This record gives sequence, C-alpha cells and structure tokens, in this order.
Amino acid sequence: MFGMPPLRQFIPISILIVLGFVLPFLLPQYFLYCGNLLMMYAVLALGFDILLGWSGQFAFAHVAFFGIGIYGTALLQIRLGVPFIIGMPIAAAAAGVIGFLIGLPATRLRTIHLALATFAFAECVQWIFRTWGSLTGGADGVRITPPQIFGYAVGTDGQAFPVVALILALVIVSVVFFSRSKFARSLGAIRESEHVAAASGINVPLVKVLAFAVSAVYAGVAGGMYTLFQSFVNPDALDATLLVLLLSILVVGGSGSIPGIAIGVLLMGVLPEVLRLAPRSLLVWQEFIYGLIIILSIMFMPEGIWGIVRARMQRKISVAAKRDVAQGGRMAEREVLR
Amino acid sequence: MLPSIYMSTIVLQSVVGGLATGCVYALVSLSLVIIYKSSDMLNFGGGELVMIGGYLALFAAVYLGLGYGFIFPFVIGAGFGVGALFDRITLHRIRGRSYAANSAHVPMIVATLGLSFLLKGAVRAVPYTEEPRRLDPLWRGDPLFIGNIVLQWQDVAIMFVTAGVMLGLLWFFRFTMIGKGLRAISQSPRAAALVGMPVILLRMAAWGLSASIAGIAGVLLAPKLLMTPDMGAIVMMAFAAAVVGGITSLPGCVVGGMIIGVLQNLVGVLISPQAIAVTPFFVIMIVLLLRPQGLFGDSLPSKRV
Repeated sequence: MFGMPPLRQFIPISILIVLGFVLPFLLPQYFLYCGNLLMMYAVLALGFDILLGWSGQFAFAHVAFFGIGIYGTALLQIRLGVPFIIGMPIAAAAAGVIGFLIGLPATRLRTIHLALATFAFAECVQWIFRTWGSLTGGADGVRITPPQIFGYAVGTDGQAFPVVALILALVIVSVVFFSRSKFARSLGAIRESEHVAAASGINVPLVKVLAFAVSAVYAGVAGGMYTLFQSFVNPDALDATLLVLLLSILVVGGSGSIPGIAIGVLLMGVLPEVLRLAPRSLLVWQEFIYGLIIILSIMFMPEGIWGIVRARMQRKISVAAKRDVAQGGRMAEREVLR
Repeated sequence: MLPSIYMSTIVLQSVVGGLATGCVYALVSLSLVIIYKSSDMLNFGGGELVMIGGYLALFAAVYLGLGYGFIFPFVIGAGFGVGALFDRITLHRIRGRSYAANSAHVPMIVATLGLSFLLKGAVRAVPYTEEPRRLDPLWRGDPLFIGNIVLQWQDVAIMFVTAGVMLGLLWFFRFTMIGKGLRAISQSPRAAALVGMPVILLRMAAWGLSASIAGIAGVLLAPKLLMTPDMGAIVMMAFAAAVVGGITSLPGCVVGGMIIGVLQNLVGVLISPQAIAVTPFFVIMIVLLLRPQGLFGDSLPSKRV
C-alpha cells in the first residue's frame, strides 16, 4: 500500500479535470453552480474524513476552519489586495496553524468530551465572525469581489468551474498519496487502539495534533474554493447545518474511502436541490425527509452505500475463488486479486 | 454610571431571573445526563424533545382544551413513547454492531442529529406552527415583589416543578427497582445482563424517562418564550450546564443549570447583550480544557485497550 499508487487510480482524476474544462460550454449556469458547490463539499468532506474516518477523532470544529478559509481568502483580497493564488494558500495555512494550536489541548480529550469542546470552539469562531463587525462586516457579511488568477477573471460560475475542478483534482491526488503514507497508517492504528499504537512506536499525541492540522488545511482550501463562485459570505453559512451535512455525507456514502465520499456528496448535496424542485406541498417536509434519510441510512447501511457496494464486489470475487477451488483452479491467483 | 443601589438591584434581579431559567436548563441537562449514563452518548436531539413537549402542550391546550392537570401527564406519556421507541427502533440496531474503539459513538450521535431534523421537520410541516405561539402561564397572578426585585409567578412555578422532578428522580433512582436497574446498566451493561436484568427494556426506559423530562421542560418554557420549531437551540445551554456539573452527575446538572442561567444574565447585564449567545460555548471550552470532570463528575474514564 506504500509508495506510488497504481496509474489506474489517476484515470477518474484526469476525467474530472477534462470535465472541468468541457462542461462549462455544455451546461447552464445553475448546474455549474451546483457542480461547484458539490466539489467544495467534496473537499470539505475529504478533510473531515481524515479526523473522523481515518483517525476516529470525534472533532466537530471543521466548519470553523472552513470559515477561516473563506474569510481569510476574501478579506486578504478585499482589504489588502492579495490575489487569490497567494491569498488562498495563506488562508489555508492559517487554518492549519489554528488547527494545530486547537489540537494541542483538544487531543487530550476523548470521544464525547472532544466532540463537545470542538463544537463549542466552532460556535465561538462563528460568533467572532458575527461580532467583529469592523473586520468581517458582522452579521451582514462581506461581498466577495471576483478573483483574478493569472489575469483570468473568475466572475461567473462557468468561469469558476474549471478552477474549482482543478483544485478538487489536486486535493484528491493529495488524499490518494496521503492514504498510502505512513502517517495514514498511524492514524488507522490510533483509531483501532491508542495503546497498541503507542506500543508500536507511534507518537500518538503528535500524530493526533498533525491530523487536526491537516484536516484544517483541507477545510481552509474548501473555504478558498467558496470565494471563487460565491459573491457573498455571512456567518450564517457557518452554522451547525453544514456540520450535519458533512456528517450525513460520511454516513450515507461511507467514510474512510474516496468513492464513498463521492457517492455521499452527490446524494446529500443534490438532495436539497431536488427537494426544492418538488411541489410546494412536499417542500414543507424537506427537513423531515432529510432526518429520515440520515436515520434510515445509519440503521440499514452501517458502512454507507460504498460499504454495500464493496461487500458485494468482494463476495463476487470470493465466490469466484471458491468455484476455482472446486474446479481445481489455483486460488492463489484469485487471492492476489482480492 | 448608575448609582450603585440601582446597579445592585439590577444584578440581584438578573440573578433571580437566571435561577428560574437555570431551572429549565437543569431539567434539559438532566435529560441529557440520563441518556449519557445509560447509553454513553450525547443526545443532540434533546432540544427538539423539549420543543415537541412544548408544542404537544400547546395542541393539548388549544385543540383538546385540557388544563395543566392533564397537560403534564399527556406530555410525559407522549415524550416517554417517543424516546423509548427511538431507542428501540434506531439505537438498538446500532448498538449491536462492533466498531473500532473510538468511533463507536459516531453513528449514534449522527442518529440523534437525524432525530432532531425529523422532529423539527415534523413540527414545521404542521401549518399551525408557522407563527410563534405562547402558552398561558402555569400560575397566574400579579408579579411578586420581594424588596425591589420582581418575581413572576411562572418563574416560581418553574422552580417548584423542577424541585419536584428532582425529588422524584432522587426517589426513583434510590428506591425503585427500575431506577436501581438504570444505575446498574450505567455501571456495566454486561454485568447487569448477567444477573438477569432486561437491559434492552431498561435502556428504553432511560430514553423514555429522559424524553419525558425534556417534555416537562418544554411545557415550563412554553409560556416564557415564543415557541418556534427552532427553540431546540436551548440544548446548548443544557450541554454547558451538564459539562459544568460533570456530565455524569445528576445533582451536578442542577447546580450547573443554575450557574449557566445566572451567568448568562450577568454577562448580559455586565458585559454586553451580544456576548450572551457565546457564553455557553465559552464555558464548555474552558471547563473541558481546565477541569474536564466538571464540578461533581467522576474522573474521566481511563483509556481502554
């Protein structure tokens, strides 16, 4: 699992990049807006999954780092005139540093206590954005000016689409490499048992804090993507609803895997738009349906949709292997496939 | 600057008002702690249980014309049913699975978030809830004056009901078989099952009890606040109260609720009204970082391999 990933893993990523440049000519603006939104959710969910799925740390502060990414990129651009291509990395790095600093005390806490403390931190950050009016525009929010990237003006959703797709592709590549690193394995070990991880020579506190920081950087990048296709940000964008959306993406799609998150983002991200098209009588039930979907998918799909798909694929392979054994075929070859 | 005699009256007034709201927070955080102790998890849907308690009381008063003497049993019974069914139908399925040590809570907490959306959506879908409503006060009458301090009779009623619920719970957990069983499963579900306790039924009872208490809090709150489907946000105050009290302690909830209620009012008077919203979160962060076991809590569970 270490080292260079097989090349076929890059096929979907290159398809994504190609689509990013082709689709703006084919689809109306509204669909492109939805696409931008979904790709941003994907980056958010991938970063959230590093803490929740990979390392089993029950941290709810992701939305706060997302906010730091949005406000950081937007304010650097508006107040200081820093271009997007420099401002977004600065904002993402700032989110990472703050994540690191929050991780230092937070990783001493576990499970429920960690969840409460990080949730409270996120609410405090949202309150700061709302109250510090002279910097952030307070509850009224900030109007985001269209960014320029090497002279390429990003004004419409169609112009933002290729950039957003490119960032998502880079993020996915980084997650693919991340998932094959020693760091990711350490996180998995910590998730299973901190004692065993420590006994096998993993510096548990350091790795946990680093996981906080890495996850925060992804959230900051997602915040930068937000400024590309939204013209406006206010603190209401950062409330607990977004956290619930991220959690439901992981639960419905299946956490700990890129395809699972892709499925979750597609389903849960498109759902509100589909419900919006529904007749007025159904619109009232939007929240109810949302809650029902969350509860039912937890009850009947413990590992999400991707978990079911994967189990079916594995069963197919093992059935084929058994048939081979019965026919005197060599099982070893099949085992490799698995 | 106001003369100090006015200032001290304002402070005293806000302390007394804070004690009354603190009682409601205490009730909600009791309902959270009972669930924490029985299921080892947080109930993020606790605020919505309060909300449906309030709305059930409203429907009972408006459509059925019931008085408070019938509203309380009605809400307690309905809350018990909702809580027990949610535990049996949803959480029971999740509990049976095996997870990695640290991530066992994730699905359960997400399920309670789902419950919160479900209840909020269901209430919102009823056309009657579109505008904010208010219930008649539990105890009418001219406000009570103690010195310069004004006390609403509704607040007095809240304090009496909270005291009654507390004493009832004390008796329940000390002297009844079900209460002792609940204490047993919170210590060790496996050992409780080994000595023949119906753990599944007891967990349902814990959830039912918790939802009933939340419902009572909703009935008490309904005349004080304007009711909207979003009034479940009160649960954050209750989380703060539970954290101050130490999450595992029932008396701690009451003390924590009072502290949060008074603190919130004092912050509003002495610092700025804007800071009220952030007070519970600030308290949660500070307490968890400096003294995670709170005032009365057990020391944190040691790491298990």
